[in-house]
Amino acid sequence: MLELLNVSKHFSGIPAVDDVSFSARPGEVTGYLGPNGSGKSTTMKMITGLIEMTSGQILFQSNRIEDDLIAYKRRMGYVPEEPYLYNHLSGAEYLMMIAQLRNLPRRESAECIDGLMRLLSLHDDRHASISGYSKGMRQKVLLAAALLHNPELLLLDEPFLGLDVGSALVLRSLIQELAARGKVVLFSSHELDTVERVCSRVVILHHGKIVADDSIERLRSLMELPTLEAIFSQLAVEQDSESMARQIADLIHA
Amino acid sequence: MPKLICQLLDRFPLQFRVLYRQFLLRVIDLEALSIQADIPRFLGQFASVLIIFSVIEALGLLIHPVMTPAALFSMAWRTEQSLISSMMLAAGLIAVISWDNIFPDRRDVMVLSPLPVAPPVILFAKVAASGAVLGLAVLSLNFASGLALPLVLGGIPRFPRVLAAYWFTMIAASLFLYCAVLTAQGFTALLLPRRLFLRVSALLQLAAFGLCLGTYFIQPVLDTPAAFAAKESQRFLDWSPSFWFFALFNQLSGSLPPNFAWMARRAWLGLAIVVCGPTASLLLCYLRTMKKTVEDPDLVSGGRGWHWAPHLGSSLITAIVLFSVRSLTRSRHHRVAFAFYLSIVFAIALSSLKAAMSTPTLHRLTPNFLMSTLVMVCLAVVGLRSVFALPISLNANWVLRVTQLYPSEKYIAAARHTLILLAVLPVWLCAALLSLCFRPLHQSAAHLVVLALVGFIMTELSLIGVSKIPFACSYLPGKSNIQYMFWGFVVIFFPIAKMFANYEQRTLHLPLQYAGMISALTAVALELWVFNRHHARSAVLYYEELPPEVITTLGLSYW
Repeated sequence: MLELLNVSKHFSGIPAVDDVSFSARPGEVTGYLGPNGSGKSTTMKMITGLIEMTSGQILFQSNRIEDDLIAYKRRMGYVPEEPYLYNHLSGAEYLMMIAQLRNLPRRESAECIDGLMRLLSLHDDRHASISGYSKGMRQKVLLAAALLHNPELLLLDEPFLGLDVGSALVLRSLIQELAARGKVVLFSSHELDTVERVCSRVVILHHGKIVADDSIERLRSLMELPTLEAIFSQLAVEQDSESMARQIADLIHA
Repeated sequence: MPKLICQLLDRFPLQFRVLYRQFLLRVIDLEALSIQADIPRFLGQFASVLIIFSVIEALGLLIHPVMTPAALFSMAWRTEQSLISSMMLAAGLIAVISWDNIFPDRRDVMVLSPLPVAPPVILFAKVAASGAVLGLAVLSLNFASGLALPLVLGGIPRFPRVLAAYWFTMIAASLFLYCAVLTAQGFTALLLPRRLFLRVSALLQLAAFGLCLGTYFIQPVLDTPAAFAAKESQRFLDWSPSFWFFALFNQLSGSLPPNFAWMARRAWLGLAIVVCGPTASLLLCYLRTMKKTVEDPDLVSGGRGWHWAPHLGSSLITAIVLFSVRSLTRSRHHRVAFAFYLSIVFAIALSSLKAAMSTPTLHRLTPNFLMSTLVMVCLAVVGLRSVFALPISLNANWVLRVTQLYPSEKYIAAARHTLILLAVLPVWLCAALLSLCFRPLHQSAAHLVVLALVGFIMTELSLIGVSKIPFACSYLPGKSNIQYMFWGFVVIFFPIAKMFANYEQRTLHLPLQYAGMISALTAVALELWVFNRHHARSAVLYYEELPPEVITTLGLSYW
């Protein structure tokens, strides 16, 4: 289980994540939602160990992650929000480098890379430079890199960005399948329809603070709202969207 | 002066001014730099190296022992040629280093194409930005010598004419080489399909680099009319533009011997051709390239044939070495930076081979050859180590941090392997091949042992204090202090290398002393290795250099 206990992150004194506590359990997909700038990606980066927290604790399987960060990294897979990759490498070279950096057995990892690239429709372009890949292809490379070592904890920050409909459907099923096999999946997205279908629980963040942490069904009945979108709008959207749209249209016509 | 430049700039259209300022900052690739990189300071350091060159040349001209008129004449000709060659080398290197900067990259096209900006405005802003750096180089390199040489050559009465001739020649010579590179690039882009151009462009760039440096190192200095008239000089006079501009300078200052007039004519003709060439070719290919840049990726796709990836010890070492090889061979910036050092290495190899072939005592190892190979191995290590510091993609480094599953010392050991495999080994093999020219062979073998140890020592020296993965850490050019490195190399390293080579040559005949030298070198190598390993155990790998945390005191006291 992944647990965040009173985690905060301040940038130059300004809180980006403020006293956040929640847990993600094996066998379920936890959705991590929030408007732009609410602190979702910052939390994800703290969970991966990319940035340090200002205060609080992150526990995985009841151990503080910073106590043995290397052992933790061995068990964690991460798909970042931005598809930043080494563009001068080919897809196959990139994945092989990840396998080598993770010290995975050579033959098995080569077979796994080949299989993943076939299943993710990247096989024909495996020797082409990543610079020529589309956004969706890059996203698939990131996904393959995160799954290569069969992680126990999967952190997915906007994993559907750039994916076509077919690939998105595959990914949606894959996330559910991995959770069903006992993995801890923390999943952040702005696509509320997808979150509603995939996640068993959601954590909603607003201005760096948690405003909701429960199952979607319970939130629906508690707030007496029909959809996750309605719940999210009530909890985390401050402005009246229609009025805002009108103001923008008025402004550019002025 | 800056006010004058600002006033001058304000006369240009706003679009041009905005783009010029943007492109000027990108003559050095911002993505290769840290957010804290100080580009003006970096350019200042670059200029200071050139200014010191200029001051030394000027001092050499002004302070010299009493000479006969013939000796003074020879010295003046030597200096003129040296200054023109250096100026052309600097211009050529700037043109090569800013190779693709003249063309809009995909980011430029994506941002600027939807805006109402005409392609010629972008082109002129790009050319002006590169030209500004060229102007800085011309000014810096002739800062002092541009006054001293006209004064020495013309005296007070002819000073204005020689001064005008000097500056015109220097500007013309640098413009010639700069425009020649642009013309070659423009026509290649115009004639070839975009994908093929991207592939050929990298090779052309390297060829231009080698040509500039090779010509500089190989061409002779001709200091008398007799040397110019000699048969063996003719091919250099026919093909080397620096001699044409030497003739042009003498023509403009009124001291050209009539039989050299053909060279001055070549300079005028060449200048006219290369100044017109890029204007036409670049304008045409700009209109064509703007669309193609969006359609095609900037990097050429990997081939579909051979994908051999050797296993080099542990998985980590294999990953880091292969990553380094691929970064070096596929990234234009890294290739050019490394090619700079490699070109010097091969120029030294070429000249030492030339000297070895021309000496009658081919069977003896000369101190010159020993020194050349030592300098080669040191330069290769220093060069690769410098290129290591240029990141390939700072944004993509997250993956190295997320997969950092080994202690730091393993990563630093991988960096050591990379330096040995990519810098020491190729030079050592090159030296081994050259050594076959010398006899007895056991002395050559003995030297190769010394060379291997020196290579290892240099590798360890370059790893002192290193806590980073090659090509994965940000680079602060303003902090590198290239002027100190450069002069340190010239003033300290070369004399030490010469002394060491002389000593080594003596010990090659004395087994006991040779054994002592090998023992000492081995001890130094081991000591450095142990020191670096010890440091590596407690090192924390870093990916982005941070400013030092200093406590600022206010200087207040009770007294």
